Amino acid sequence: MKRERQETVVAAETEDQKGKARMEAEDGGVDELLAALGYKIRSTDMADVAQKLEQLEMAMGSSAAANDDALLSHLASDAVHYNPSDLSTWVDTILSEFNAPSPPLPPPPLSPATLQHHFDLHPAGTEQNSTITTVDIPSGPRCPAEAYHLEPLHAPAVTGRIVNGSDTQSEVSPSSRDRKRMKLCTSPPSSSSTTDAATSPAALPVVVVDTQESGIRLVHALMACAEAVQQDNLKVADALVKQITVLATSQGGAMRKVAGYFAEALARRIYRPQPARNLGGSTLDFAAFDDMLHQHFYESCPYLKFAHFTANQAILEAFAGCRRVHVVDLGMREGLQWPALLQALALRPGGPPSFRLTGIGPPQPDHSDALQEVGWKLAQFADTIRVDFRYRGFVAASLADLEPYMLLGPDAGDIDGEEPEAVAVNSVFELHRLLARQGALEKVLGTIRAMRPRIVTVVEQEANHNGETFLERFTEALHYYSTMFDSLEGGVSAASDAAGSGGRRNQVMSEVYLGRQICNVVACEGAERTERHEALAQWRVRMGRAGFEPVPIGSNAFKQASMLLALFAGGDGYRVEERDGSLTLGWHTRPLITTSAWRITSAAC
Amino acid sequence: MKRRSVEGPEEEKSKRPRSAEVAAPEEAVSAAELGEDLLLEVLKRADARTLGRAACVSRGWRRLAEDERLWEAVCTRDWVKVPCGKQQLRAVVLALGGFRRLHSLYILPFLAPSAALPSPMTGRPHPQQRWGKDEVQLSLSLLSIGFFEKMIPNNNRGGA
Repeated sequence: MKRERQETVVAAETEDQKGKARMEAEDGGVDELLAALGYKIRSTDMADVAQKLEQLEMAMGSSAAANDDALLSHLASDAVHYNPSDLSTWVDTILSEFNAPSPPLPPPPLSPATLQHHFDLHPAGTEQNSTITTVDIPSGPRCPAEAYHLEPLHAPAVTGRIVNGSDTQSEVSPSSRDRKRMKLCTSPPSSSSTTDAATSPAALPVVVVDTQESGIRLVHALMACAEAVQQDNLKVADALVKQITVLATSQGGAMRKVAGYFAEALARRIYRPQPARNLGGSTLDFAAFDDMLHQHFYESCPYLKFAHFTANQAILEAFAGCRRVHVVDLGMREGLQWPALLQALALRPGGPPSFRLTGIGPPQPDHSDALQEVGWKLAQFADTIRVDFRYRGFVAASLADLEPYMLLGPDAGDIDGEEPEAVAVNSVFELHRLLARQGALEKVLGTIRAMRPRIVTVVEQEANHNGETFLERFTEALHYYSTMFDSLEGGVSAASDAAGSGGRRNQVMSEVYLGRQICNVVACEGAERTERHEALAQWRVRMGRAGFEPVPIGSNAFKQASMLLALFAGGDGYRVEERDGSLTLGWHTRPLITTSAWRITSAAC
Repeated sequence: MKRRSVEGPEEEKSKRPRSAEVAAPEEAVSAAELGEDLLLEVLKRADARTLGRAACVSRGWRRLAEDERLWEAVCTRDWVKVPCGKQQLRAVVLALGGFRRLHSLYILPFLAPSAALPSPMTGRPHPQQRWGKDEVQLSLSLLSIGFFEKMIPNNNRGGA
């Protein structure tokens, strides 16, 4: 757990450096991030305002602890506050409602927003260092002052941050601060509800601008929320989700988006514990946009192209010398994998074989025959390059419904003394769905085996999102999708014909596509949770048990894949690696998808 | 469309004296008198950049410079081994959009950055990297995917 935290710290740091650079650029007039929330406040005024807000809290706190409800309710409903977006004057007017600044009593529960606020105001000794505070939020009243260990970072200070340089701050004794923080630690869950009434004029929380620190806090909040969900502690989880949403707005780029999707998924899980219909990949509604999103995902990043190219190369090599070939695609979608294979077959020495394609797809919501459309398009393509092509489409709600006799067709065996057709089975991101139902995978692998294929190509995500406990899956998914979103940030394919705006649209669509997967992993359970990704090692075991042995993917595929990456703007970050004969594509050090090839164990034949 | 470089026909001027030497050592022959076949022969030896510039000279030159045979030469010149018979390759590539398209979209982006710079004015094309069959395969695959994506499925679906 700790190691993962450190890793997420690193990830958050690199993300936040970008955010920081941006903020340092906009220090001039109005603070940029607060302006986004609707508050106009000059960066130079921030220290002042922070101070005043603190006084305000103390004042409100002390009077609330006493029996002065009248004042607070007056503030909440009757008092007229002009122009709340101009924070400094607004705070002044409220403060004038109170008579005097109160002494530093241990305050009652504070709202989450001011909670962050206080962390930043801690006198860190030097103004120039950002500090990391590690906070354990969900745990009970166990926060002694020692629980906070502060490590000054070597990173430069963020200028947008509320600087605590004013003299009055340093007069407050550290011990009272610690006490305050202790209180803060124990009370966040209930704080949001109790202070809502009191702070209704300040409905929007003040977001502290130190992205580095809030990045760490964001990750912690996510983990804490997942823990709470696992322990069925739904109230705490609910409060934490709100906190996550607030924290996420202070981040930029990939981290914000990932946090947003995870927060949404957590919220769904909390509010709809029964199997909900529209979350996973199993409903017909879903299938409608799925293909379109898939298409955009195909354009914007190399993962699918990598999958197709490497699988095609393996199939091409397996088909060497065969005159009749048959490919079974377990997830046909738009058929983007096959033009390249058809072309490669057309150009092989000796001419193309006669090619048969069987495409399998889910039922479509609008009863359109997408499978047939794709088939016609491919037939037209094959005609253009003079490859003898036959196509058959199969609609199946689940792959487990298929039987070998359906797929093989009448002329699979010997015809007039010709050799039997060579069969290849291709699965891109399809097999993991079968793990949702007991025995489904074994049945499908058995069906595949019964077709006696020359080669089976399998492309799967390289992650374990099928762990025993929710927390395990959550943590894994958080890492995995953070890395994925990071790689999407890198940019858009340099060789795509789309204009700049098209590239941006691709990126957004890809994020939605991944967001759906996130939602499924986090919010669904049981048969609904179809995104049960497993790592290569686990697939090895499963394939081995089903009677398949690995076929090494050759260097041709490796070279093609490496060259392909040059086309994508983030080209430097992507890595192709070969691992025991399978190829993985990853972002920096993290492998993300794996292509592997299999054949029936020769001993068993 | 293709790169529109502004440098114009300077490269061609340097070629003219050479071809003039072949034609008539004493008299200079202007390009306009060369005749299409001879011009085509000259351009066959040109590199991609030169061809692009040649296409900017005039409408007639452009028609010539966009001839697929020239671009086929440009593409296959640096291939270590053509994957299959020439006819076969030609048939497929032409059907999928042609060599000029292949070069512009799926070969050029992969070339080393130095190749994108103008070649030195000596007129000798700088050596391009040799492409093995994997690189060739990748470019051809991308060409086919591009074609497929842009393809409008015709609804003339005759029989079954």
